[in-house]
Amino acid sequence: MRALITGAAHGLGRALTEELLEQGHEVLAVDRDTEPLDDLAVKSRGACSVQLVDLANPNSLERMLVGLWEQKFDLVILNAGISASGKFEDIPSAAYAKLIAVNLQAPLVLASGLVRRGAMNNKSKIVFISSLSHAVGYPGASVYAATKDAIATYAKSVRKPFRKHGVGVLTVFPGPIQTDHADRYAPPGAKASRRMEPEVLAKLILKASTGKTSELYPGLTAYFGKLYGRFAPQMATKSMRKAIYEKLEDPVY
Amino acid sequence: MAKNEPRQHTILITGATDGIGLLLARAYAERGHRILATGRRMIADDMAYFGLPNITYIRADQSDPKQAAQRIATAMYNLGWKQLDLAVLNGATGWTGDPAAETPDEIRKQIDINLTAPILLSQALGPWLFVNGGKLALIGSTAIVKGQGAFATYAATKAGLDGFARSLRSEWQDRAEVMIIHPGPTRTGMHKKVGLNLGAAKAFFMSPKRAAKAIQRAIRKGDGKRFVTRGYGWGSIFASAKEGQL
Repeated sequence: MRALITGAAHGLGRALTEELLEQGHEVLAVDRDTEPLDDLAVKSRGACSVQLVDLANPNSLERMLVGLWEQKFDLVILNAGISASGKFEDIPSAAYAKLIAVNLQAPLVLASGLVRRGAMNNKSKIVFISSLSHAVGYPGASVYAATKDAIATYAKSVRKPFRKHGVGVLTVFPGPIQTDHADRYAPPGAKASRRMEPEVLAKLILKASTGKTSELYPGLTAYFGKLYGRFAPQMATKSMRKAIYEKLEDPVY
Repeated sequence: MAKNEPRQHTILITGATDGIGLLLARAYAERGHRILATGRRMIADDMAYFGLPNITYIRADQSDPKQAAQRIATAMYNLGWKQLDLAVLNGATGWTGDPAAETPDEIRKQIDINLTAPILLSQALGPWLFVNGGKLALIGSTAIVKGQGAFATYAATKAGLDGFARSLRSEWQDRAEVMIIHPGPTRTGMHKKVGLNLGAAKAFFMSPKRAAKAIQRAIRKGDGKRFVTRGYGWGSIFASAKEGQL
């Protein structure tokens, strides 16, 4: 099997890449920071190839796409994402433009481009990474929440049309993960130990990607978060306000 | 939060050259409010186009979100407005077809116009809205409920607005009232603009007039999230506002 992972250098992307290589698959690992991937490329003796792409830059993204037309993938995980946390009005508009470009524009352009150009094998799968914020809201990262809700609905919309091209779609709604990325954006005093380990999440995602599941809320936190958001949406957002917004200090973007 | 007392309100409406936006601008202007209407078109004579003296039009192309936000803020300043009582961020575009055939440019354009522009505009409007607890009404679409295979990016951008409104409503709860209103299918010029022939399905669509009326009702009531379905449209027939009310 041949896979494409975006945002492969750190966190969940890295765990996904390592797990796929472990299982004996080939991976094209994409990131804007490829240095941490060099050791994987060497160790895997060619199974892992690395490509430098800045998803915030439309030109870089398009150059990458042109290079992908010749290839065939069985699994594409559009994992790359950034955040911007802080009071909505405290974050500069340029940071929002970048956030939307990386979290929303890039996955849409990649998914539709790969399917259009026949770079997806028959019975292949595209995995979109949304967020548990889809269920509970996210005061203190309202534009991040916007991009993740948009991804969830895009995935829902393309499920049927992509199936006609032989491509399945899986959407993942992870809760908090133990990564450097999460540490950066979390409010001070947040406990990292209660977040999910990326290696555990990677295994859950890869397992779900081989089955018929179309939406995955991984782990107990995500499962209860989903229920909370469904049955008491306003209360869920209030809880998020207490847990995040009211503890915010300086904005991080 | 400010009471809905009858007085002259200052109102911003984006995407006001056609469809629901145009009807909203005229309805509010007829009740005596001062309207700043925006759109992508060049309009030489505001009075001739809108037919009412209290509507000022400026061109603000949302495909350049940052510039559009700046132009609108500048226009409010030039009008001498000290506060904004209501902003209806209604301007949007669409594309229809197999999502696999949607080019990067089409995707980018819809995200810029439908999502990035309203977000940057909300940020620019904040200080104006906070003065007197103004209302920020974002216009979404019922397409977000189940997703739409033929309008995948459009539905995604509207879902983005929904999520944005939900979180921002909580963030701004003591300063301004953020709402998201999702109109159901409406017989506006939008479908024709994106090359979709509706045929018989049109019979099931709301008339733009009723949709506009229902949206005004939802704005007056101030629900955080409101689906303007045909049922809600019918229920709004007698919901008329008086002179000076929103």
